[in-house]
Amino acid sequence: MTEFAAAAMASGAQLRLRQLTKAFGASQAVDRISLDVPAGAFVSLLGPSGSGKTTTLNLIAGFLTPDAGDILLDERSIADVPPHKRNIGMVFQSYSLFPHMTVAENVGFPLRMRTRLSRQAARQRIDEMLALVQLGHLGTRYPRQLSGGQQQRVAMARALVSHPRLLLMDEPLGALDKKLREQMQVEIKRIHRSVGTTVIYVTHDQTEALTMSDLVVVMHQARVSQVGTPRVLYEAPANLFVADFLGDSNLLTATIAHVSGDELAVEIGNGEKIRAARGTSAAAQGSRTVVLIRPEDISLTATDERTAGQDVVAGTIKDISYHGDTFKLDVALGADMLKVKVPRERGAGMERGQKVFLTWNSSVVRLLPAADRTSDASGEDER
Amino acid sequence: MSATAGRLGLSAAVLAVLIYLIFPVIVVVAISFSSGNFLVFPPPGFSLRWYESIAGDPEWVNALWVTLKVGSLSALIAVLLGVPAAFALVRHVIPAKALLSALILCALVTPPIVTALSTYLFFVPLGLVNTVVGLACAHAVSGMPFVVINTSASLRSADINLERAAVIHGAHPLWAVLRITLPIISPGIVIGAIFAFVHSAHELLVATFVLGGVGKPVAVKIWSGVQATSDPTIAAASAILIGLAIFTFASAAATQSLAKRRTA
Amino acid sequence: MTALAEPRAAPLLRPALSSRGRMLPALLLLLPCLAWITFFFLAPLVLMCWRSLASEGFSLEPYGVLFTSPLFTKVMITTVRTAAITTVFALLLAYPLAYALTVSGGKVRALILVFTLIPYWVDIIVRSFSWLILLGDNGMVNKALMALGIVSAPLQMLYNPFSVLLAMVQILLPLTTVTLFGAMLRIDRTLITAAKIHGASEWHAFRTVFFPLSLPGVYGAGLLVFVLALGFYVTPALLGSPRETMIAQTIMVEASQLLDWPQASAAGAVLLIITTSIAAIYNRYFSLDRLWGGSDK
Repeated sequence: MTEFAAAAMASGAQLRLRQLTKAFGASQAVDRISLDVPAGAFVSLLGPSGSGKTTTLNLIAGFLTPDAGDILLDERSIADVPPHKRNIGMVFQSYSLFPHMTVAENVGFPLRMRTRLSRQAARQRIDEMLALVQLGHLGTRYPRQLSGGQQQRVAMARALVSHPRLLLMDEPLGALDKKLREQMQVEIKRIHRSVGTTVIYVTHDQTEALTMSDLVVVMHQARVSQVGTPRVLYEAPANLFVADFLGDSNLLTATIAHVSGDELAVEIGNGEKIRAARGTSAAAQGSRTVVLIRPEDISLTATDERTAGQDVVAGTIKDISYHGDTFKLDVALGADMLKVKVPRERGAGMERGQKVFLTWNSSVVRLLPAADRTSDASGEDER
Repeated sequence: MSATAGRLGLSAAVLAVLIYLIFPVIVVVAISFSSGNFLVFPPPGFSLRWYESIAGDPEWVNALWVTLKVGSLSALIAVLLGVPAAFALVRHVIPAKALLSALILCALVTPPIVTALSTYLFFVPLGLVNTVVGLACAHAVSGMPFVVINTSASLRSADINLERAAVIHGAHPLWAVLRITLPIISPGIVIGAIFAFVHSAHELLVATFVLGGVGKPVAVKIWSGVQATSDPTIAAASAILIGLAIFTFASAAATQSLAKRRTA
Repeated sequence: MTALAEPRAAPLLRPALSSRGRMLPALLLLLPCLAWITFFFLAPLVLMCWRSLASEGFSLEPYGVLFTSPLFTKVMITTVRTAAITTVFALLLAYPLAYALTVSGGKVRALILVFTLIPYWVDIIVRSFSWLILLGDNGMVNKALMALGIVSAPLQMLYNPFSVLLAMVQILLPLTTVTLFGAMLRIDRTLITAAKIHGASEWHAFRTVFFPLSLPGVYGAGLLVFVLALGFYVTPALLGSPRETMIAQTIMVEASQLLDWPQASAAGAVLLIITTSIAAIYNRYFSLDRLWGGSDK
């Protein structure tokens, strides 16, 4: 076990992308992407299809050559290094296990290609890996005899057997059903903690990205929209796209009514003024902005129970839907429609057409830039 | 028109067309077993005399031998040249790809008489007339599209990530192509090769010009026979070719299902 | 995120790989194939065109003969007419067959496909030959007709346009069917279901949704069949009278019997230009490799 423990300590590489660019004909797939990934971090590339995340992954792997820009692994440029010499591990959505080889042979493949380990040493490594992914007894089976979840675990074992310092994962759970996906998410995190390698994980599923990652890179239209920890991205999105992409959101156009020190007041559609926390956008009186309030942050009461220091607005319930543990309501506020999420007991008595009072903590009211453009991670909007 | 009437009508039409298609083949096969002297259908009785007469005739045996040699050689050339071309067309980005693939497929839509005449005029100064190699080289041109089409289809449906999985984990790209991708697409290649072989075995006009003399292949011999005699020997020779075709078709189908079972 | 020190030596921006360098492996893969085709196919065609112009010095005479001689004109007209009629009938028969293939489930479809393709594997000589047997005075068709009392004397069904067309359609039917089938597969069947849900009858849904969508496939298959039919040799030679002579036979006679190479080459060149133009028109709208399942690039 000692060799394995030592390998676990070797941990991951530091990865840097510098102005990475790739176009296919007339369409720009990746547009000047820069990224700094700390060693050993679990980083997700999150975005809708077409955002450039898979292309970025393929560029890191070396299957595509960048038009411009550089890729640095542990401070050394690998952009000119062919993929089979980059010493990276990779897991694909379709598992891509070699059908004519057994599980053990699949896992041992990188060792045969990259190292000169003796049969015995290789055997030991393979067994360690299979134990790590909890498939120790299945070494002699063929891929087609395994379930989807098992095949994906074999793929992970294969990717990690030669102790790569970087592991790439291309929507590995996309082919699995919901329950299995959630189990595998836990598995993958556990393996990551044991092995310590740096992971780049591509997904379009925001829940997956939020629950698994140390850092999330939100990508939109070939550029980086925002980089941050899951909490920062959810609670302090930098722009409209990130706010809308992660979780449910209420986005209201508003005008900045009043600025004094740390306090801001904005005027929303129906003329009411509410207080907001100072957000990422520069605030000048009279300028247009977008207000973000998360549905779960709004409290709903049938009567006006306002307390000092809290904003309250009145609205009418237009629709209610039951979601088991919560109720989701659509509340009309003049011309705007707010989505509100309340716990079950709260929503149980509510009815369509009922007049209600909405209130929240002003710290959850965030301001976003009014124009719908993504900013790159260096935060060109920050002053 | 009600749905069932429509369906009935369709089935009837389909059946009629299929009979129209298959029946002549049955006729030829039946006649080859005829015990009678004339080309009548239905044949008067069963007999293998025509097959015996072919087997005993050195000219026929030689013709079959020539057909086999020319067919195999042209299929081989078509594979050696067509498989890499398929890779280039499917996996790589090239300018004017449509034009290039049209060029490769050109041979299929060119009238055979034009190909035959031009090939003959070209071969005479080169001394390739009356050679097995010459005919094989010419047939390889029309065999290539079959190989390229079938290999491309296989390549397109093959999972490129399998090759990528090998490469990213240390395999040299060429190794990955030869040991991972090629086995997976081999059914497509084999089918293309079979089509190329059969095409060569059937081809008449180029063969008449290039190898129409002493060492002629079966197709040419059948044609001269058809216009001259009217005994069922011709039918027997044709039945042999049919048998060859069915045999290769069956082995192609078997190859495909075998491969499917391996990678399922 | 921790700020990291900028690397000192590595350049921040790499120049792009020259596009020529990236294409090299692809061109190397294609080169042998293209070289072979150029040498064994294109060069002979060029030579043939050259020979059509120059025998004793440069002369356009063979072409003049082609366009003025009543023999050639008649043969060309016969060729085009036969090819056109063949195309129409092939499409008419192939359409229901291809449609049946499209709507059938696995086993039935496989069965129909096998039956459709077996004739394709039998060579043209044999298939034409079989009609010779069937349609003769003593052939099965005549015998059946006389036995049923429909006719009292054998019908002359051979050595006329009827036998030529019958055989040509049968020979080209498998290819037409498979080509149409390929095109029909690409039609989204849920569109038909949507039409039916909104009240269309089976026939109506077919007429207003499926059929219009299948037309490009029909045009494509039609063009292909027409081009192939133009070049037919064996079938008209075996089953037709001299009045049904098609251009391929004439060229053959010019070349092998009359040894008039310039004349044969000229006729060949004209035929080549006609078929290439049609194929080029097809390629412009449909792209040749679509026929055999190529990608929609």
